[in-house]
Amino acid sequence: MVSFIIKPLVIAFLLFSLFGLVWLRSHVVTLEYNLSDLEKKKIECLKERKMLLAAKANILSFGKVEASLSKNQGFVFPDRIRVIHVKKQKESLPYKASLDKKRLIKP
Amino acid sequence: MNKKRAVILSTAIVFSFFAVYLRLTDLMILSHKRLSEKAKLQHIKVEDIHVRRGIIVDRRGRELALNLELESLYCDPENLKLDNEGAKKLASAMSKEPKIVLAKVPAEGRFAWIARKLEDDTAEKIKELHIKGLGFLTEAKRFYPKGELASHILGFVGVENQPLEGVELRYDTYLKTTGGKVFFRRDASGRTLSSGVDIEAKGNNVVLTIDEGLQYLVEKELDKAMVRWRAAAASVIMMDPFTGEILALANRPSYNPNSPGSVSISDRRNRAITDCYEPGSTFKIIIGVASIEEKVAKHDTLFDVSKGSIDAGGKTIRDVHKYGILTFKEVIQKSSNVGSITIGMKLGKERIYKYAKLLGIGEKTGIDLPGEVSGWIRPPEKWSGTSIGAIPIGQEVAATPLQMLRVYSAIANGGFLVRPHVVSEIISPDGQVLSSLRDKEVKQIISSKTAETFKDILKSVVEEGGTGRSASVEGDEVAGKTGTAQIINPKTKRYSKEKYVSSFVGFVPADNPRLAMIVVIYEPKGQIYGGVVAAPVFRDIANQALSYLNIPRGKDAYETPLLVAK
Repeated sequence: MVSFIIKPLVIAFLLFSLFGLVWLRSHVVTLEYNLSDLEKKKIECLKERKMLLAAKANILSFGKVEASLSKNQGFVFPDRIRVIHVKKQKESLPYKASLDKKRLIKP
Repeated sequence: MNKKRAVILSTAIVFSFFAVYLRLTDLMILSHKRLSEKAKLQHIKVEDIHVRRGIIVDRRGRELALNLELESLYCDPENLKLDNEGAKKLASAMSKEPKIVLAKVPAEGRFAWIARKLEDDTAEKIKELHIKGLGFLTEAKRFYPKGELASHILGFVGVENQPLEGVELRYDTYLKTTGGKVFFRRDASGRTLSSGVDIEAKGNNVVLTIDEGLQYLVEKELDKAMVRWRAAAASVIMMDPFTGEILALANRPSYNPNSPGSVSISDRRNRAITDCYEPGSTFKIIIGVASIEEKVAKHDTLFDVSKGSIDAGGKTIRDVHKYGILTFKEVIQKSSNVGSITIGMKLGKERIYKYAKLLGIGEKTGIDLPGEVSGWIRPPEKWSGTSIGAIPIGQEVAATPLQMLRVYSAIANGGFLVRPHVVSEIISPDGQVLSSLRDKEVKQIISSKTAETFKDILKSVVEEGGTGRSASVEGDEVAGKTGTAQIINPKTKRYSKEKYVSSFVGFVPADNPRLAMIVVIYEPKGQIYGGVVAAPVFRDIANQALSYLNIPRGKDAYETPLLVAK
């Protein structure tokens, strides 16, 4: 009686396993195809990236930026004599200023 | 009857099985090796790994040399179907004459290049023609996005990406990489399966000491000077006097490394390191330094130059103006030839030679660029009778602009002879620092006291009464020296009266030097003096460079902060 049940189960299990192996294998191959397609896309994107990087580097060259900004926007290279450098303060400047003022009022 | 049929049938079956058995034996044992090789060829696709040179960036990471992926056109002569009409269309797409295109197709063989590294739109036009026997392969093309900028430093590569000049050549070992093969499995329809291997091999990246912004400022001002003085050539080098890092280096004439073949070879020469010139008065610093180090003179030692001329080995050398009695400091400030020769005579040829060599004259600086020359100064035993009157004023000596800049940098940095260099780091493709090329030890060649004394003397050159007045930068003190040297006429073998080299070399801010710079203008027209021709170029570059680097002006740079009350 037991062998009458087990035998078909074993056969079914073997068939199922065989089917599973084939199914898994086909999925692995499909994945490999997908990966290959993605790799091709990646190569294309990298190629595009290189072209864009080159274009960006070319556009951002100092000569082009200066020519474009001075012509269209009226920008000029800063005159060093007209640049004022302010020394860094340890404390916040407005706070210190108000404190000094208070001291002056209430000695 | 049935038995007979059964025998025939069973015999046929046995023979059939036997035939199948034999065939299987042939396929699986006898022809196994041949067939498995054939199957491999059909199922495995082999491709070359794409080898890409590393990129070159400036000190702030801005790309100066990178790679583009372009398509190259090849043909398979055995399968090529190209009639006259097709050849015309192909030539038109490539903007060439049909006969030029056809000349590239050999009569036999399976592979020949027709055009390398085509622009994208040209490749598209050719693809649309659908000519059988033509194919495309992707190749890397070196691209210099800033065009002419820093071309003499970067150099360039050939069509096979072989290095030919500049950093490309000097650092090829790091920039290039090795390739190899990558294997893909493919099915009957030719679709490939992933190999999981990166198909691109990248070389290491090179970080330059150059700053693109400073390089641009230098080249812009150099172009202006070339036009202003209708000069034959010019060079400017800007260096950090403490580290030897070259911040900018430019020459005129120049070239675009994207099309180096469009100019003559001489335009591609890096004159700043490959060409020697007689440094003229800028060489007087060596006599001055030697005399202070050897205690032959002090800054206030008096020299009588009132005669306005001096005899050296039968040759009379004159000053531009008659000066009277000058202190040692004034001899340098006014660039008195008579004073310098007098000091030179006191020093003697052995000590002049010793200090010239000590300061790197006649020796390569060791810059990491190809083609550097050493220049020369004759050893004392080979000096002629007139040499003692020529060498102290920078004649009979050949130096490169870089050598002269290095001498002045030694004054700026307190007496150390730095090694100029253009590359600071080598970085792997994944961003790791493989090698830092900064020098760890620098040799001190003169005392810091002498350097300080001479710094003061060089400051006076740019002050009222000095020859380099027009190099002064508003808001900061400049220390430097002008130079005006005659060029030898190769026909007469005598100094030309029309052709000069005008130069100015110095550093700024004088007391806390950030930039050391030399400007050399070859054969200016209209004016000849270094103080008139080269010094203003120094001033204009220094002004903008200090602004670009955000270096505050000297003592008055800081304004009193405004106090804002609540």
